[in-house]
Amino acid sequence: MVRRASSYLLVAVLALTLLATMAGAGAAPRLPDLPKPGVDTTAPDIGKYGGTFVTSTFSDPRTFNPIVSQDTVSGTVVEGITSALVDQNYVTGEMEPALAESWTLSRDGRTWTFTLRDKLVWSDGQPLTVDDVVFTLEAIFTPGVDGSLRDPLTFRGQRVQWRKLDGRRIQFQTPRDQPPVGLFLRLIAIPIVPKHKLADALGKGGAEFSRTWGLNVNARDMVSSGPFVFQSYTPGQRFILVRNTRYWKVDRNGQRLPYLTRYILQILPNQEASRLRFLAKETDAYEARPAEFAQLKQQERQGNFTVYDGPETFGRTFLVFNQNPAAVKPPKLAWFQDARFRRALAHAIDQNAIIQQVFAGRATLPTSEITVGNKLYYNANLRPYPYGIERAQQLLAEAGYRRGSDGFLRDAQGNVVEFTMITNSGNVDREAIGNLVRQDFTKLGIRVSFVPESFPSLVGKLTGTYNWEAIIIGFTGSLEPGTDARNIWLSSGDLHMWWPKQEKPATQWEAEIDRIFEQLPAELDQAKRKQMYFRFQEIVYENLPMLYFPYLKTQPAIRNTIGNVKLGLQGHTPGLPGWSVPATTTYFKGAYRP
Amino acid sequence: MLRYVARRVLNMVPLLFGVSLVSFLVIQLSPGDFLAEIRLNPVVSGDTVEQMRRNFGLDQPLHIQYLKWLWSILRFDFGYSFAYQVPVGWLIGTRLLNTLILNLAALVIAWMLAVPIGIRAATRQYSWSDNSLSMAAYLGISTPTFFSGLLLLFFAFRTGWLPIGGMTSLDHELLPVGARVLDVARHLIIPATVLGVGAAAGLMRQMRGNLLEVLRQDYVRTAKAKGLAERPVIYKHAVRNAINPLITIFGFEIGGLLSGSAILENVVGWPGLGQLILESVIRKDLYVVMASLMLGSVTLVLGNLIADILLAVADPRIRYD
Repeated sequence: MVRRASSYLLVAVLALTLLATMAGAGAAPRLPDLPKPGVDTTAPDIGKYGGTFVTSTFSDPRTFNPIVSQDTVSGTVVEGITSALVDQNYVTGEMEPALAESWTLSRDGRTWTFTLRDKLVWSDGQPLTVDDVVFTLEAIFTPGVDGSLRDPLTFRGQRVQWRKLDGRRIQFQTPRDQPPVGLFLRLIAIPIVPKHKLADALGKGGAEFSRTWGLNVNARDMVSSGPFVFQSYTPGQRFILVRNTRYWKVDRNGQRLPYLTRYILQILPNQEASRLRFLAKETDAYEARPAEFAQLKQQERQGNFTVYDGPETFGRTFLVFNQNPAAVKPPKLAWFQDARFRRALAHAIDQNAIIQQVFAGRATLPTSEITVGNKLYYNANLRPYPYGIERAQQLLAEAGYRRGSDGFLRDAQGNVVEFTMITNSGNVDREAIGNLVRQDFTKLGIRVSFVPESFPSLVGKLTGTYNWEAIIIGFTGSLEPGTDARNIWLSSGDLHMWWPKQEKPATQWEAEIDRIFEQLPAELDQAKRKQMYFRFQEIVYENLPMLYFPYLKTQPAIRNTIGNVKLGLQGHTPGLPGWSVPATTTYFKGAYRP
Repeated sequence: MLRYVARRVLNMVPLLFGVSLVSFLVIQLSPGDFLAEIRLNPVVSGDTVEQMRRNFGLDQPLHIQYLKWLWSILRFDFGYSFAYQVPVGWLIGTRLLNTLILNLAALVIAWMLAVPIGIRAATRQYSWSDNSLSMAAYLGISTPTFFSGLLLLFFAFRTGWLPIGGMTSLDHELLPVGARVLDVARHLIIPATVLGVGAAAGLMRQMRGNLLEVLRQDYVRTAKAKGLAERPVIYKHAVRNAINPLITIFGFEIGGLLSGSAILENVVGWPGLGQLILESVIRKDLYVVMASLMLGSVTLVLGNLIADILLAVADPRIRYD
């Protein structure tokens, strides 16, 4: 009898234990005050709490107002103190839930419904609800509010519609003939701002709102939904962020992120000072210049840091020829509009000389508009244009250009091929590239004069008078050119540099690019998007409206006491600044440093 | 004297008006404007840029813009910075004290070095000490400030005795008041030395030249013949006369106390006015540039006035009425 009872007891205990473990195994991490936190899956280690991460930036931020912020340094602060509805995984490029935990698409494909996580709070404890999201959207579209967040939410002049369903759900509807997928990508860029702190300012008008949360802000007025909270800013010297103890993300073990206690950015305008401070162990991270890579590698042990053979940036530098008939007259117009001419010149550029002499070997041969740093969409099937003066001369000959007895190249009508190349003075790299390229083209018999000029003058020519022939210039890039580079690639765009604001596409290939850029926002399937981007790069590669220069590599140097350093796709960092180190999961390996 | 000062102050008004007009025209008429940077940002559409232009008031005709600015200046409203969207007064105010501290320190160093060294060089003309000091002076005048700044930064890095640039250390806020002052003083050493020694070099040559000229005068020979000892001859009689031109220079230096040395500030990371102004000029942040130009003009004119007053005080031969 007793044995029976004890065996029943044993079975019961075993069963309960089994049930308990099964229940535990299936459950996601949860926090006492947040039922379904976001879980970070990219960080390799589980970190320890505590520590200060010190890094540097090259100029002061311009504002702390997330809606108005447009420059890089302000952007780094804003990223640290805000969250958006969705996020893009900086390693894989996939869309991830952020403030929104889930979303659905209506049957007609025009309406998205987002559901916010339950019990979200701001850093001061106030609840974060759809009211804040609606407030953010209203602020963006208020007249008088500066900033570029309006453009991602406007489709051909019509703005996206939104509707609050309840405290946790909001609905977005895109205009009738516009596919809604692009919305998704654009929502990443929209930081949600607190209504309870900013409603007063918005009530006073757009201009007043643009000035709120500026540099003269009182730290108590700023609340955060991001990993960090703003603590202080000393003009010209540094700004300090501290851990947000109410952040909505946890690590794989359910520990609330971030691990760091303080994140300090020193404002060091001078590259030399920045390097010296890093070597003196006063900062933990340094963005090295190409020529410093080799030397830094040798100092790794002594300085207790690692310098990474970093990913290439998304930015690209290129040479553009002016194909605008309103600005350039024949015969030059004929040369610049001739794709064979441009291809020949591409063969004549000695890219390796540029890589060695300008970038100390720290650059990769270019192919097309999307650089090799963009692991999601880079088209590796395209081979860089091989360097060959003979090949260039052959292509020119086929196109009707002949070299005269005086050594100068002439077109079929007998005009000497000559043009003026400009770039912005003060940019040492571009000036060096310009000189090398001028020498390359001279070997073909082309008369090139290369004239660096002031940046405002350059911009005036590019966007106002169009009075230029060839320009060497560059853009920084992003993961999704389909969203962020529309002004460049749409034939109607203001920055369609070689022939802006076309009424209808001037060539077949420009028409095809227009079609691709119209379809991209509609395409949900990642594989199909990739195909479209591949085709886009092929078109650019064949027709060369821009002749690309080598893609620049980065060489970030980071102290070994910092853990979870994982270099992702450059250009998108979920935490804080400079390149690719996510501060959300960064932790301090060394002895505790308060 | 009082009438003279009043007259000078009244003269300032048309002068400042002229300065503001010319500055405004020069900035506006040069190619490009503040929005040049953002026009090349692919994410921003042309329409948004146009709207920003309207928000900033840059689409109005030039004379309207100027008159609006003038009207607000008269009410001490310096406008808003385009780049930072904060009041210009606040922006300049945050850096003003830093530049003042730096320039004062440099002034003190410069004068405390230049005057005694200049006197010594003049009294021992062509001696070994004179020649080597002159050599040092030439080096000091010709070395660009950014170069000496970088050298000292590197020296600080190597030896660890001085902070590598900046104005305060990381935990400045947590220190008690006395330690905070010491902290800033430590950071002040490199930039003040660079500026001070550079200025001292020129001043020393001035002092030396003036004193030599005075020492050749008849009354000096008379004093020596009278039997006066060397020290009172030099300090009581000669230096007092030799220092006249230097007083004028001193006045000018007071006028320059608020002008930042942009290059040096950039090199050592001193958060001063010079950096701010240079950036604003490059970016064409209109109201910041105008305010700083007006500030510079006012202090310059006031400095001149102070120089003239000091001269009258020091030299009884000079009378203004």
